[in-house]
Amino acid sequence: MTVEEQIRDIIAKITRVDKSIITRESTFKEIKADSLDIVQALVAVEETFGIEIPDEEAQKFQNFGDFVSYVENRVVQEEKV
Amino acid sequence: MSLGGKLALVTGSGRGIGRAIALKLASQGADIIVNFFRHRDSAEQTAKDIEALGVKAEVIRANVGDPAKIDEMFDMIGNKFGRLDIFINNAASGVGRPVMDIDVKAWEWTMDINARALLLCAQRVVKLMEGRGGKIVSISSLGSRFVLPNYTIVGVSKAALEALTRYLAIELAPLDICVNAVAASAVETEALKFYFKEGLVKDNRQVTPAGRMVIPEDVANIVAFLCSEEAFMIRGQTIVVDGGTSVGLFALAGK
Ligand SMILES: NC(=O)c1ccc[n+]([C@@H]2O[C@H](COP(=O)([O-])OP(=O)(O)OC[C@H]3O[C@@H](n4cnc5c(N)ncnc54)[C@H](OP(=O)(O)O)[C@@H]3O)[C@@H](O)[C@H]2O)c1
Repeated sequence: MTVEEQIRDIIAKITRVDKSIITRESTFKEIKADSLDIVQALVAVEETFGIEIPDEEAQKFQNFGDFVSYVENRVVQEEKV
Repeated sequence: MSLGGKLALVTGSGRGIGRAIALKLASQGADIIVNFFRHRDSAEQTAKDIEALGVKAEVIRANVGDPAKIDEMFDMIGNKFGRLDIFINNAASGVGRPVMDIDVKAWEWTMDINARALLLCAQRVVKLMEGRGGKIVSISSLGSRFVLPNYTIVGVSKAALEALTRYLAIELAPLDICVNAVAASAVETEALKFYFKEGLVKDNRQVTPAGRMVIPEDVANIVAFLCSEEAFMIRGQTIVVDGGTSVGLFALAGK
């Protein structure tokens, strides 16, 4: 599974929305994710990928795509280290 | 009041009241373990400020709402230090919602972090305090006994925290472990200042007989006292730090 697919699964499980409505352009509001859902998604993603996402960074995510891109970059960096 | 040579763990001590407590205990000579969840930078800054006071600081990330993370944190403390003298249960989270909007997810999240964490941490803390005694202090709020707007789940979690404080105090008394809580009214933290600006919280100076808002240091001072030997005979209590707000309600209403 790609990073994007994994994150989509995590978010769909938390917000109980159908996976197919989550696109890169979807805002958290469109995915029906409230602030608690977002924190829970962050925690689950951190555990899945073994990374830490500071709140300062997470606050910059405008949509699902931003979240995915951030994690993709971090995962690539981790692999280089 | 000296805490020289003591080791203290303060949950959620990167910022706010937890940070003030960590600095206060450090200023009295205790080495501090700074626990955080989402803000590593703040935690590292707090650790630096603690070290500047001439004591040691250690930073540990752990979500105290997750039993596995609590275990990891205490395994690490056990392996590295093999002891603990002071445990401050300060970390809290919650969702501000009216009663009718509370769902299972919000309830569990809040209760797990605010109330269950004390239970699970205390069970691990006792092993590190065995044979040496110790202090456990939790941070509560007036919302445990008074109704604050949209504060429902946090208020309920704080009521559980205070009740658990009483049970722990009695069960751990034979081990010379003193267990208490400190309940504050609205405390002027960075987070609260933000809520002021957004109009989510009202300035409560007018309803505080003491004439000013409670500041983090007011809470930290009482926590430090409860961690001192002078407070040895205080057990299972929740000490209110509110500048008189709660007992002055009727007098103020008549104004
Ligand atoms: N401020 C008030 O008006 C007020 C009044 C009465 C009582 N209190 C109580 O005082 C305590 C501290 O409040 P505060 O206002 O200083 O808090 P705050 O500014 O809201 O910060 C919360 C602290 O708890 C940590 N935290 C949150 N969830 C956590 C988790 N799951 N695991 C570990 N740490 C976690 C945070 O760490 P990160 O930043 O790393 O996420 C942060 O350090 C709380 O128990 C609160 O209920 C506050």
